[in-house]
Amino acid sequence: MRYHPLTMVFKIYHLVKNSLLFALILFVFQRNSEFWLYEYGRYAFVFMFVWRLVYIVIAWIFERYEWEGRTFHLHKGIFVKHTSTIPFSKIQNVTRKTGIIHKIFGHTSLTFETAMDGEDDAIHFEVLTKKHANYLLDLVKPGETTIPDEVHKEAKPLDESVDEYADKQEKDRTIHFTPMRKDLWKASFTSLSFLAILPFIGGAYDYFEPFLPETDQVEGLFQRLLANAWLFLGIIVLAVIVAVVFGMVRTFIRYGKYEISSDATYIYIDRGVLDESYFSIEKRKVQGLEINQTWIRRIFGLAEVKLISTANPNMENGAVNVNSLYPFLPIEKAYQLIEDLLPVYQLDVELARLPRKSLWIKLLRPSWLWILATIGLFYFKPDFLQIDQAWWILSLGLLCIIVLNRILDYLHTRYAVTSDQVQWWHGGITSRMFITKRKNVIEMSYSQTRLQKHFQVASVSTINRSVPAHIEIINDIPLTYARVIQDWYLKRQEDIRIDKEAN
Amino acid sequence: MHDIKLEHSLSPSFPTIKWITEAISNIIVFAVLGVLFWVNDYFGWPTWVFWILIGLVALSILGVIWSIAEPVLLYRSWSYQFDDEYLQLSYGILKKEWVTVPMTKIQSVSTSQGPIMKRYNTRSIKVETMGSSHVIPALEQQIALQLREVLAEYAKLKEVDE
Repeated sequence: MRYHPLTMVFKIYHLVKNSLLFALILFVFQRNSEFWLYEYGRYAFVFMFVWRLVYIVIAWIFERYEWEGRTFHLHKGIFVKHTSTIPFSKIQNVTRKTGIIHKIFGHTSLTFETAMDGEDDAIHFEVLTKKHANYLLDLVKPGETTIPDEVHKEAKPLDESVDEYADKQEKDRTIHFTPMRKDLWKASFTSLSFLAILPFIGGAYDYFEPFLPETDQVEGLFQRLLANAWLFLGIIVLAVIVAVVFGMVRTFIRYGKYEISSDATYIYIDRGVLDESYFSIEKRKVQGLEINQTWIRRIFGLAEVKLISTANPNMENGAVNVNSLYPFLPIEKAYQLIEDLLPVYQLDVELARLPRKSLWIKLLRPSWLWILATIGLFYFKPDFLQIDQAWWILSLGLLCIIVLNRILDYLHTRYAVTSDQVQWWHGGITSRMFITKRKNVIEMSYSQTRLQKHFQVASVSTINRSVPAHIEIINDIPLTYARVIQDWYLKRQEDIRIDKEAN
Repeated sequence: MHDIKLEHSLSPSFPTIKWITEAISNIIVFAVLGVLFWVNDYFGWPTWVFWILIGLVALSILGVIWSIAEPVLLYRSWSYQFDDEYLQLSYGILKKEWVTVPMTKIQSVSTSQGPIMKRYNTRSIKVETMGSSHVIPALEQQIALQLREVLAEYAKLKEVDE
């Protein structure tokens, strides 16, 4: 069937939005320019714009989608026809976004992501009715529901069994987390969101520069401001308040309405105040988990929990990372959440610490960064705060940070391997926890440099499926333990089943 | 870990092949450097260019020494083995690596052969997985083709849950 007609409106909106800047440059700021680039650019722009407009309409007429059994068929292209086939079973996760435009029309958008490579790796429905979205969501859900094996050319009324199934799903959902006001306050400060106003101001300045008075005048104004200490102080205080409020508003909009829930087989994340989004992933498609703690989050006792999955991490506009459960969870809450959502992961395992010799090797290892930076500093001897000897102070400072980072890395590193899972903490100033199941590790290696050989330690690295592949490395664990991990991995066959039918 | 040796090793002609390739690239490097010295002299470029060139020559000489020692060391360090579950590779001179790849996760296998490898009747095998790719640098042609078939056969198996 055809995509929803409002898809055209949505695409045209994006077209206008994306070409607005060019239009402004060509027809407003440089309207009197006779430079050939602008001269012909205007014609080219009009031509391209009209072409895109026509293309959107024609594409809507020709492009179709349908499903047959448990497979989507997408027909794309006007001149070059292109059909892609995506079985429901390949769908890894679902994202549903309701932007402001969608809200105005009471519609929503839907994306099914698969783990396939290439351009056909996702199915996008830019605009569709909420009812149809729900229908599609239920359709792709694996379950006892059997969809009749006929081609659906038109939207059918909801199947009764599907309906029941959906109801049951709805009831079984338990909510695990919604942020409190306190969490949001913390989030706003730990994310340093008040700094986010800087690029905003910069962008605004660039945008409005042509309308602002001459630079000399601005500088004159600035001089007068500096002369009046009280006024200057007042402006700074005002700026700080504006920045903090801006940061708070930004955090509340991004993380204010947030709900993590799950049922027996799925994890759901609903979020967003202005732009609503809904994300769901099947539990067994989670490849592993990661907890991230930057130093500032550690001070506040917060952590970010990330799912390792094949979901595309950079959705449009660099909005909230879809793989992140919630970036500002109190650490105990984070553990609790993992246990609730994915009970197969056991977090109460006792972790081993590194032996003392690992600290020595960490400190002994030459730091190429420091060596190069010091050579650079020595050669250029940059003037910094009018201190003559700045270069070696900076070099020393860098060395201190590197050493601190390594000591912290030693302190943070803890690891454990149990029957079918591996878990470790590592990292210095930013520490990270990684946990995964043996069957989800698609490759494992361990390595030993000459220095590590001398100390009888080794590094272990694992690869998990993700986009791009998720590589985890733990350094300087005792060689005997590295061998244990290797042997453990060689017994991987215990956890997996071979798909006989794929042959 | 240096003592660990897997079942199979590379083709015995690997060091020779490596020596020849390295020698060819070294000759090219020195030819380029020679031309640069000539150009430097001809156009009278500033003195620091001359010193940079001297530095490059010194580095290239170190490279030549390394390229004489490296092939044998690499040959000794390389070993691999495979069964119906895993492909294991072990290699590295300064840093020893031991890689384990489950057969079911292999996505593609390909062999390739350059003119020098052809002369010695060897082939290299490239194994690609979802997250990485590995090359076994030189195997006797027959063994390489056999291994390719074996890997391709095992790689057909897929795990449930994909």
